[in-house]
Amino acid sequence: MKKINSLYVIDDDRIYHFLLKNLFKQNGITVKTNFFSNGQEAIEALKQDEAGDNAPDLILLDINMPIMNGWQFLEEYAKLQDRIPKTSMVYMISSSNDVVDINKAKGYKSLVKDYFLKPICKEDLDKIFISGN
Amino acid sequence: MPHNQEAESANAFYKKLIDEVPDLIFKAEYTNGKYSVVFCSESVRDIYEVTPEEFIADPDYIITHRILPLDRAMFAKKLEVSRIRLKRYDHEYRVKLPQKGLRWLRITGKPEQIETGGVAFYTRVSDITDLKLQEQKLQVSEERYKFALEAASEGLWDWDITKRTVYFSGQAMKIIGRENKDATVPQSFWSSRVHPDDVKARDEAKRKGLRRGSSYESIYRIRTDEGKYRWLLSRGRAVEFDKNGKATRAIGMHKDITQLKEKEIQLGNTITIIGNQNTRLSNFAHIVSHNLRSHASNLKMLLDLFKNADNEEREEMLSHLEGISDGLTITISHLKELVEIQTEVKTVKEHLNLRHYLKNILTILHHEITKHSVTIEINIPLDVTVNYNAAYLESILLNFTTNAIKYSSSERKPVISYDFEIEDGKKVLFISDNGLGIDLRKHKNSLFGMYKTFHKNQNSRGIGLFITKNQIEAMGGKVEVTSEVNKGTIFKIYFNEED
Repeated sequence: MKKINSLYVIDDDRIYHFLLKNLFKQNGITVKTNFFSNGQEAIEALKQDEAGDNAPDLILLDINMPIMNGWQFLEEYAKLQDRIPKTSMVYMISSSNDVVDINKAKGYKSLVKDYFLKPICKEDLDKIFISGN
Repeated sequence: MPHNQEAESANAFYKKLIDEVPDLIFKAEYTNGKYSVVFCSESVRDIYEVTPEEFIADPDYIITHRILPLDRAMFAKKLEVSRIRLKRYDHEYRVKLPQKGLRWLRITGKPEQIETGGVAFYTRVSDITDLKLQEQKLQVSEERYKFALEAASEGLWDWDITKRTVYFSGQAMKIIGRENKDATVPQSFWSSRVHPDDVKARDEAKRKGLRRGSSYESIYRIRTDEGKYRWLLSRGRAVEFDKNGKATRAIGMHKDITQLKEKEIQLGNTITIIGNQNTRLSNFAHIVSHNLRSHASNLKMLLDLFKNADNEEREEMLSHLEGISDGLTITISHLKELVEIQTEVKTVKEHLNLRHYLKNILTILHHEITKHSVTIEINIPLDVTVNYNAAYLESILLNFTTNAIKYSSSERKPVISYDFEIEDGKKVLFISDNGLGIDLRKHKNSLFGMYKTFHKNQNSRGIGLFITKNQIEAMGGKVEVTSEVNKGTIFKIYFNEED
């Protein structure tokens, strides 16, 4: 099992950023976390890190976001795969319980590990951080 | 005597000849109010089934015992008219013969005044039964055909491709509002009446359909004398070809399918409306699912964390709780607004002066317009009115204008222009700006969706365009967008008022 050291959170909800931080803290998860409020910002960060030293082990991705949403991020991220030495595990975490979205996530099998519905709880974190990989 | 002998042999020759003719040939005379037969050919045996001797002895026997009672009066009358006026006669009548039964006969001949003061008739009677039957059959089938076409409201066309003329049956002429009378006209008479939008498809159908072995079918609109268009189903095939295999004549039918077509169009519109409502509903379900859920899940997470948090952390959490509450309130008010649009389809409409309403909105936005030094251009005639809901019109104009200002480019002086046009009889307002533009390849489908924004702009929540679109559609109109990144955006608002 690979240890998770770094993490990207891509979600436009600032309150969610705050809550997630606290959830990590209360569960003793110490991980280097970068917060982005849309896909575009995350893609730019990945592109700048050409050596891939800072590429995250894990990406927690929302769907509905302005400018570049979760699906568009996945498309762009797939294009970047060849350029980045390190591949991150992607988990989709969204408020959408729409079957269309859930099935669509299954379509990205090679990229997306799993789909979680908000709110995220301790058990979900256990699945992602412990049984993951 | 040689002379007599010669005459006799000539007579015998003619008699033989006459007897060979299947028609009955005879000569009758009218003197002193009485008819008598002076000569008759052997064929009387076939025609009337009497011997020449019997016929000569009692010509009236034919009238009383052969001619059908129904036809006797007319027969006698024709004979009398011909005798008095000394005019040729030609008359058809029926006889009932002992052997052959009912036969149709035709009597023709020429009356001549004779020296005694009477009249001589040189007469020929032919059996026209076979001809008559053919004629009747033809008439029956023609009538059947005619009635069937009329009942099916179908008209016939017969196109002489070489001469470039077309024969149209009365029913075909009726479709374009002419009287029910057949006519042969130049082909341009019809083709010039075809709806401009249908010309190409019709020509293509003709090109393909008039080849040997194929058939032609085309549905198009034809202009009537009243200037209205009717939907036509035209079907046919080429029936004659030249030596190169090119069609020289084609025959077919026209059916007026206007009612059917109008129902089809109506149905199509209904499906579109239902489809739109469905999209709105699923959008609505989407906000309920997404936006309400996101607030609710934040709330749940926050409460879970709150239990295990220390005092300092709790303080910060409380401030976020306020944020969640605000977000929830806004979402609920948006939902309420949307529900109102969906349920109040029959909202009150009034005739509103478009320019006047636009001016009002621009006054409200005066501060914003001055702050961004926006140039406003208005090309709306003073008297243009739209039959619309006042609140919706205000909201639509306000939303598009605010958007145009909000997404103006910092690189150039913002210009917003409002142009009014009539497109296909429908009132359209163009709102154009020279702002940031939207990449429609990426965002076309989500442009008017819920909570979609395309710019890194604070507070830019996509709800505005979603509500605006719903209002436009609730009024029976539609909105279209064209845009180029860093050039500008044009929104086209179709009013489609039902006056």
